[in-house]
Amino acid sequence: MIDAVSGLFARIGERGYFMRDIFRGLGDPATYGRETIRQMRNIGVDSLPLAAIVAAFIGAVTAIQTRYQLFGGVQLSVVGLISRQSIILELGPLLTGLVLTGRVGARMTAELGTMRVTEQIDALETLAYDPVAYLVVPRLIAAIVMLPILTILANTIGVVTAYFTAIMATDVTSAAFSEGLRLAFAPFQIVYSIIKATIFGAAIAFFCSYEGYTANAGAEGVGRSTAQAVVIASVAILVLDALTAILLAPYLQA
Amino acid sequence: MKKRDDVLVGLVIAVAVIVAILGSLWLARGGLSKGYPLYAKFPWSAGLKQGQPVLLAGVNVGYVDDVELRPNGTVLTTFRVGKQFHVPQGTTATVVANGIFGDMAIALIPKTPNAQSIPPGDTVPVGPSGPGIAQLTAKADSVATSVNAITTALQKELVTSGGVADLRKTLASTNQLTLNMNRLVSQFSVIAAEQNRQLSLTQASLRRATSGVDSAKVDSTVKNFREASANMAALSADLRQTSLKLDSIVAKVSDGSGTIGKALNDPGAYNDIRGLIQHMDSLMVDIKKNPKRYINIKVF
Repeated sequence: MIDAVSGLFARIGERGYFMRDIFRGLGDPATYGRETIRQMRNIGVDSLPLAAIVAAFIGAVTAIQTRYQLFGGVQLSVVGLISRQSIILELGPLLTGLVLTGRVGARMTAELGTMRVTEQIDALETLAYDPVAYLVVPRLIAAIVMLPILTILANTIGVVTAYFTAIMATDVTSAAFSEGLRLAFAPFQIVYSIIKATIFGAAIAFFCSYEGYTANAGAEGVGRSTAQAVVIASVAILVLDALTAILLAPYLQA
Repeated sequence: MKKRDDVLVGLVIAVAVIVAILGSLWLARGGLSKGYPLYAKFPWSAGLKQGQPVLLAGVNVGYVDDVELRPNGTVLTTFRVGKQFHVPQGTTATVVANGIFGDMAIALIPKTPNAQSIPPGDTVPVGPSGPGIAQLTAKADSVATSVNAITTALQKELVTSGGVADLRKTLASTNQLTLNMNRLVSQFSVIAAEQNRQLSLTQASLRRATSGVDSAKVDSTVKNFREASANMAALSADLRQTSLKLDSIVAKVSDGSGTIGKALNDPGAYNDIRGLIQHMDSLMVDIKKNPKRYINIKVF
């Protein structure tokens, strides 16, 4: 029992050291500057089609589900309102984060893990390079910047798809949906979505980079680290989502 | 390759930022146009916030730009109205609930149609506010009290006093009545069928009787009837003429013209006749007393 508890604190401590290394690496932009753009391309631009497809289907399903859950007498503009709130506040950032955990986080862990087991990271240290500044910081910055960007685009695609689905597949009119979209809107709702996406991006990059950076035991270790990274990052995203909602939801009311 | 990465990343970030800004502006204001400012001083803003809609006669024409609590306790609200919209003179501003999700809006209600509009930068008078949540709650409370009273009365009448049992009995009686009615209807059906059969037989008999009638005899009978009718008409005419003549005679008698009329209407003649009758009576008395004075019969 004591071993388990001490092991837990040890793991937390190791991640704390890793975070310290990241902050230290942030002071060396010359090392990570160029690599950051490449990672932004990998994490953001290349993930855009997947995020767009997921957002489009989520938007369509949200609109249809919302319409057919309404009981008689409820004004149909509610479909626009609920679709907007569901997509912008929850589904857009959360699903983009989870999808990117699978696509980007797994790749991050596999890349860094392979570099670790093939001793490329050791080579960087030998060459007096800070491996964290060169390998982890660009990924972290890229994820923190690009996940909100992807979330904004996913939110837009989701809402637009919900709009077209609602007016084409249900009896909701364009005017009613637009009225609902604008009902009880507060600009902080967009900010809330961006805050969540930023936190999720940081979580994906941090946990997946750490698992890859600390991978060992050859190819099997890389595979295990990758699976573990995806699980930890996914759970972390869900926990952070709940925490964000608890802390910021009271400020969302229009 | 590096250059291409920069362009792609920059493009995606720029698009996302533009979409976020334009989307927020559209959701908050309905577009990029700022419109012209108008002001209203509300004693109670009911949670009005920046970005909430401004409705003119129920149509969305702008948005709330600023809500400021003044030191004198009023809420100075700045709202912007689209340049294509004009707020008529005499319009009043009221804070109203927009939908059922707590969103508020400024309702601009024109008093009467007016071609003159409130100029930009002017202050719109505040109109009477709609019922608040407290008033609605109080109303709902009174409604709930009434419903409770009705429910209590119903419970007393239906449950305590055995009304439900009575209703059940009534329903049972109604069921029995329905059964009886059904039975009666079936009996009526049998009777109707029998009557129908009898009518069919009667019709058949009539048809047979009709076929047995000689049409020539019927024609001559009808002809005789027609002649008799003509005779009756002539007789009636004669009777009418006779009646007219009798009427003229009666009229003459009534007028006292003619012999009979004079005789009937002359009081002198009447008196003479009465005197004559009296003489005749006294004569008859005298004859009875002294018949020999008048009757002298000699046989030999």
